[in-house]
Amino acid sequence: MNLFDLLYSSDPRVVFAFWVGLSMTLASLVLFVAVLLLRRIAQRRERQHQQAVVRWRALLEEAMRDGLPARLPLLPERDMTGFMEAWNALHDLPGGADNLGMHQLAWEVGLAPKLEKIASSGRFHDRVMAIIALGHLRSVSSFSRIEPLLDDPSPIVSLSAARALMRIDAARAVERVVPQIEARQDWVDGGVAQILSETDANVVQGPLSGAALRANDDVAPRMVRFLAGVSPQAAAPVIRRILSEPHDEHLVSTCLQVMTEAADLDKVRPLLGHPRWHVRMHAASALGRLGSARDAEALLPLLGDTQWWVRYRSAQALQHLLGDDEALVRVRERQQDRYARDILTQVLAERTLQVAA
Amino acid sequence: MSPAVSTVALPEIPAALAGALEGIQWAFLLYFVSINAVYLGLNFIAMFAILRYTREHGASFRLRNFAEYQPPVSILVPACNEEKTIVATVRSLLRLNYPNFEVVVINDGSRDGTLRAVVEEFGLVEFPEAYRARLKTAPVKRIFVSPGNGRVRLVDKENGGKADALNAGINTARYPLFCVVDADCILQEDSLARVVQPFLEDSRMIATGGVIRIVNGCKVKDGLLSEIDLPDKLLPLTQTLEYLRAFLFGRLGWSPLNALLIISGAFGVFYKERVIAAGGYKSDLVGEDMEMVVRLHNQMREERRPYRIAFVPDPICWTEVPSDLRSLYNQRVRWQQGLAESLFGNWRLMFRRNGGAVGWLAYPFMLLFECLGPLIEVLGYASVIVLGLAGLLSPQAFFVFLFASVGLGILLSVNAMMLEEISFHLYPRPGQQLKLFLVAVLENFGYRQMMSLFRVVGLLRWLAHLVRLRRRARWGHMRRNGDWHEDDSGEAGAGAAAPRSMQPAPGAPR
Repeated sequence: MNLFDLLYSSDPRVVFAFWVGLSMTLASLVLFVAVLLLRRIAQRRERQHQQAVVRWRALLEEAMRDGLPARLPLLPERDMTGFMEAWNALHDLPGGADNLGMHQLAWEVGLAPKLEKIASSGRFHDRVMAIIALGHLRSVSSFSRIEPLLDDPSPIVSLSAARALMRIDAARAVERVVPQIEARQDWVDGGVAQILSETDANVVQGPLSGAALRANDDVAPRMVRFLAGVSPQAAAPVIRRILSEPHDEHLVSTCLQVMTEAADLDKVRPLLGHPRWHVRMHAASALGRLGSARDAEALLPLLGDTQWWVRYRSAQALQHLLGDDEALVRVRERQQDRYARDILTQVLAERTLQVAA
Repeated sequence: MSPAVSTVALPEIPAALAGALEGIQWAFLLYFVSINAVYLGLNFIAMFAILRYTREHGASFRLRNFAEYQPPVSILVPACNEEKTIVATVRSLLRLNYPNFEVVVINDGSRDGTLRAVVEEFGLVEFPEAYRARLKTAPVKRIFVSPGNGRVRLVDKENGGKADALNAGINTARYPLFCVVDADCILQEDSLARVVQPFLEDSRMIATGGVIRIVNGCKVKDGLLSEIDLPDKLLPLTQTLEYLRAFLFGRLGWSPLNALLIISGAFGVFYKERVIAAGGYKSDLVGEDMEMVVRLHNQMREERRPYRIAFVPDPICWTEVPSDLRSLYNQRVRWQQGLAESLFGNWRLMFRRNGGAVGWLAYPFMLLFECLGPLIEVLGYASVIVLGLAGLLSPQAFFVFLFASVGLGILLSVNAMMLEEISFHLYPRPGQQLKLFLVAVLENFGYRQMMSLFRVVGLLRWLAHLVRLRRRARWGHMRRNGDWHEDDSGEAGAGAAAPRSMQPAPGAPR
């Protein structure tokens, strides 16, 4: 085949196909070479990173154990990723937090300004690592540098910033962080709960209570759940108030799930007849958890509920309230409804086999 | 992919025939350009998606989630005559690093010792469960549980096919999310946590799927992956590259557009109530897993509910691929039949007024290029042969179009290798990369054409199935090599008695 003939072929499709084939083949070769080169570069970078991790981890461990090492090298920029990894990993170990030797080392190598620089303008991964490292460092002077990062569009950056701020100065940070918890629907609940669990409950319970009462019914369930996780006592008056007012059924369900005060059961009993099944189910559970044997009678109609989970939780609540299986067997024998008998049979068997959900 | 588009040097032929041939040539050319343009576009989207995913889910800064906020998951393992593998599978599932889950094995009328193997290995006892038949299935005979807060449950039912078994599993599942796992899959410790993560990040999420990677050539110890390598045999090696393409841009490209139409039946997580509302899995279909995702899209859009179906690009599930032609043929025929069932059974999704990217882009793409594409390709090959035999084909044009087609095929494969390199680099050695590159070239000469033929057979099977009375789908079994298995020295029921964490099923006390 003559290439010259081909390039001047009268059929434009053939010419088009030729150029497509040629350019694609060349692009494939270039891309393949790029894959090989990228791998080499990545491997070299990874090797350097690991060397820095090993070097600085050894120095930090020495500082943890024996105080500031006698000879401390400079911390060059190329070692920063390795240093941050070792620093953050050691702080997550038991006894790693607030170690005097490590903090002295950080001061000696001028860590705070280096981290602040990376936190504001580094690569994504390095930024997050630097923010976490600043949180471990607890340098008050870094607070104002991290604070704007709460508004970062990335939930990972902003949540990491929240955690760092709470570690540095919880009392100051909580005024900024709690409104963000309310506003940022993209913050993963588990991550928020983790931050709150690391903070002194006395510091966060006030702002969380206010936020839970102030929030609309879409946001309030999250806030009530966080508050109850931090302090069930602080959550009790908030739950009492919510249950006293008309609210969205999901918020009511959340309150029923986390409530711990038997004194509030008067607000729970009427909810056993709520039109929404999940409210009935959580009301039955709350009654089983907090009520007394006198409440058993109120649960009996729910054993024949149309919803399986309502029947199941009611049977479990009854078992809890009645205390012994003999009494539950007698309840089962009185039931005319097949579904009620079946669910009681299951709950009785679960106790024997310890397999309750 | 495209066939070598045919073109002819027209001799003395009737004007009408010449016009028809001209039209066909343009149609083939248009098809060739369109399919490759879409693939390159998907590559572009996937590149951004994977870069974003890898930077945001880097292991070294992963924020710990409070275990209490991890939703509990019911892992469904449908099994029919899996006596040899089922215990190892359940054992590996029990080693998953996830706070709260149960493993529900559904014995779908096995004729071998599947039931006995699970009952004995995990010390299960029969249990008087108040079974809820929310989805209609073949009769459930018994339910077994492991005493002492164990995590394994077993549903013993009459044979009804995989979809029927899954429906029985959904009926039995206690938790709001369920995960479907094939009985022969190998997972990693963090597989479940990773595939559930999108549910934590977006409350609209109703289903997620993960990348399936090929275990042939790898080493597995105690039910978990211990060493990653490429297969030595050509057929599995070619499929490795195919899987890279299919998952790294074929699915990841659609995910950011909320237009993912396929979640592999080997590993996916679903919001239980949504699946029940959709009517559960259809037991008369071959591709019940694929059909479920298309139906969920269709239903959510019909009900105008906000939703997301996402894809997790982490390599989290490993499966053995066929290493013999017969098994490969059976698998691809089933897949194509399943694809056709899924698409034609939910045709209302296409060009729906509120169809979004899935109705206006993904569905038509899947229909035209993935479903009917093999037919067009095989017609292209046939026309080349016929025209060549008739002396109407210009050899020059034939070789030029073959060159273009192969060039584009190689580029797409190398693009997938690039995506792999910038994300997970599971095959880092130059030898491994060279092997993949060679396969990217070689597969264009025979393998691709063979796959197109298999897929056309799948389409014909679907047509035949359509005109016959509907019947229950059977289990698709594959001949397994299993040379990646090391001696499994796991302790019996290692996690069976593991304590449950605090996050409960609906309404449980805290």
